[in-house]
Amino acid sequence: MKRANLVSWCIAFVVALILPFLVSDYWLHSLISGLFYVLMASSWNLIAGYTGQVSFAHAAFAGIGCYTSGILAVKFGIPPFFGILTGIILAALLSLTLGALCIRMGGIYLSLTTLGFSEIVRIIIQNEYKITRGTMGLKVPFLFGNYSKITAFYIMLAAVVLVLVGIYFVLKSDLGLQFRAVQNDEIAAASVGVPVVFVRLTAFVMAGSLAALAGGLYGHYLLLITPHIPSLDTMFLVLAMTVIGGMGTMAGPVVGALFLEILSEYIRVYGEFHVLVFAIVAMIFARFFPQGIVGFMGNLIKQKT
Amino acid sequence: MKRNWLKGFFVLSVSVLMLFSGALIFQSWAAEETIKIGVVGPRTGTAAATGKAFQEGIELALDRINKAGGVLGKKLEVIFEDTAGDPAKAASAIEKLITHDKVVMVVGESHSSAALAEIDVANRLKVPFIIAEAWHDDITKKNYKYVFRAGPCNSGVVNGYILGFIKDYGFKKVAIVAENTDWGLGIKELAEKGLKKAGITYTSLVTERKSQDHYAELNKIKKFGPDLILAFVYGFGVHYFIAQANEVGIVPQTALILEGAGPPSLWPEFWKTVGDAGNLELFVSRMHPAVTFTKVAKEFREAYKKKFHKPPTDYKSRSIFDVLLIAADALNRAGSTNPDKIVEALENTNLTVSSGVVRFGTTKGTYAYHQWQPPMLIIQWQDRKQVVVYPKDVATGKLRKQ
Repeated sequence: MKRANLVSWCIAFVVALILPFLVSDYWLHSLISGLFYVLMASSWNLIAGYTGQVSFAHAAFAGIGCYTSGILAVKFGIPPFFGILTGIILAALLSLTLGALCIRMGGIYLSLTTLGFSEIVRIIIQNEYKITRGTMGLKVPFLFGNYSKITAFYIMLAAVVLVLVGIYFVLKSDLGLQFRAVQNDEIAAASVGVPVVFVRLTAFVMAGSLAALAGGLYGHYLLLITPHIPSLDTMFLVLAMTVIGGMGTMAGPVVGALFLEILSEYIRVYGEFHVLVFAIVAMIFARFFPQGIVGFMGNLIKQKT
Repeated sequence: MKRNWLKGFFVLSVSVLMLFSGALIFQSWAAEETIKIGVVGPRTGTAAATGKAFQEGIELALDRINKAGGVLGKKLEVIFEDTAGDPAKAASAIEKLITHDKVVMVVGESHSSAALAEIDVANRLKVPFIIAEAWHDDITKKNYKYVFRAGPCNSGVVNGYILGFIKDYGFKKVAIVAENTDWGLGIKELAEKGLKKAGITYTSLVTERKSQDHYAELNKIKKFGPDLILAFVYGFGVHYFIAQANEVGIVPQTALILEGAGPPSLWPEFWKTVGDAGNLELFVSRMHPAVTFTKVAKEFREAYKKKFHKPPTDYKSRSIFDVLLIAADALNRAGSTNPDKIVEALENTNLTVSSGVVRFGTTKGTYAYHQWQPPMLIIQWQDRKQVVVYPKDVATGKLRKQ
């Protein structure tokens, strides 16, 4: 990592550490939601931005994570920590199965299959109301101990730091190199001995498990989980965040997630129209700044120096 | 060229930022002059019409309260936050009202699942919350200190009105259709219990709130052959249910339909969707032009006509009007915005609103704690006119089956 990059990451981390003491409860809530979306967007970036597979099942895996943990906690009194772990394992197994079935197809076919899977998960959760409480929402306990936004913030922050560091080292490793090789040219990669299917499947399972982690943590922070988490609304928001922030960069999803979360607080008065605003913002970025905020700022700095 | 682009972009972002901060400063400056009460309710989603009714009721209540001197010597201001009928959105809406807008009280709500999420937040943040139209018993059964309900509850509606209506008119076989929400499942369970006790045969089905296709349920009901159908579906879904019932041959001569939520039968879209199938349909309501519970009801009606140039239809405009009067009265009697003092004042409420004289239950242990059940009416559409058929002492006409 370049020195300047490392310094800016460290500054961001230190600012994040003291932030809970500077903002009101209301903005702290937004920040925690923002961190959830950072986890979601960063892990989705791993498959979409680094191996070029556009999966729409990401929100569904977050849903599997939070509902597994939530149901275990409510019905069997299992502490959220173990519940989330179980959720991650279940999501990993499901993404392995789904991946094994459809990862060879790639491109638009992968997108369509995962889109179908995502809707199936949401419909099952919505209709099996005797277990999941459907649209009524399932009330779940807090992560641990008494409810505290500050605790939730630091747990989320710790998860974000661990995940980002994890992703960084994966991308630095041989596997990361293979990710990019597969993204750039599958056939060329296969010709030099890169196990294409294995590489894509690994990324898919990693992303699915990380989504489950994000969903589990967020559900136990919200104290109430609804089919909104595994919905396509959430999925497209994560997609917009990654694209606007800058796909295929480390900082992109982080910047995009926080930017859109804060923007959504300002435009929430417009109700359903905020989706429209996001779409317009996303289109403007796709047309004029295809590399997202991060790419745009990077170019700006380069021009100056 | 590119430079100009960048320049434009930055000028734009800076001006947007300035606009936002300007708005914020203005907001905090304006805030000092008023006392703020938050309202939660669905402005979007399947019951968005309720949001409109709420908005009308809020305007009338604000006119009345501020004309009479406001609250605690200041002007009353209402901030109306959308819940879309979704529990997660509802919880963050009420949290936003309390932590960001600093409201001293919250009132409203019209979905039980949303209310059940909101009461936890209100109670945790210790802000008094008066529910207007979320009926599930658990809302007050939880016996939260800061949660009140000046509106119908499932037990009150079923035991006080629906079961009486069924028995008095001698219905023999009842089919229940309930949406899969807290309200729907809760009221279904209570109706089943009551019917079982009364020895009336029944069957029940659960449907999806947003469903537009009810043929599967209706065919099952037709096979069962009831003489009354209780439809506990709140939203446009119930319109399709009534229209499709007619299509499969369930007509008033064989079975009447009693819609248990009320307002959907009063929304403008009702006749558009159901057409003539809506004739002789029954629904639960709290308002009828011929039934004046108090003087305030008459004043509400006149004020409504004057402001909106039409007679009030959706009774939820009056429900929110009533809870705002209750809130303003409690604030004035509490003499401060201290939440515990407001709760104490609310517990001592003895106020005439449009539906009657409000007194909250104060004995802990059941759903009657912090609950006030307003009188209800069962109304039948007869040739597109509303006829009250139950309770019989306020009835304006006879129940018709053809």
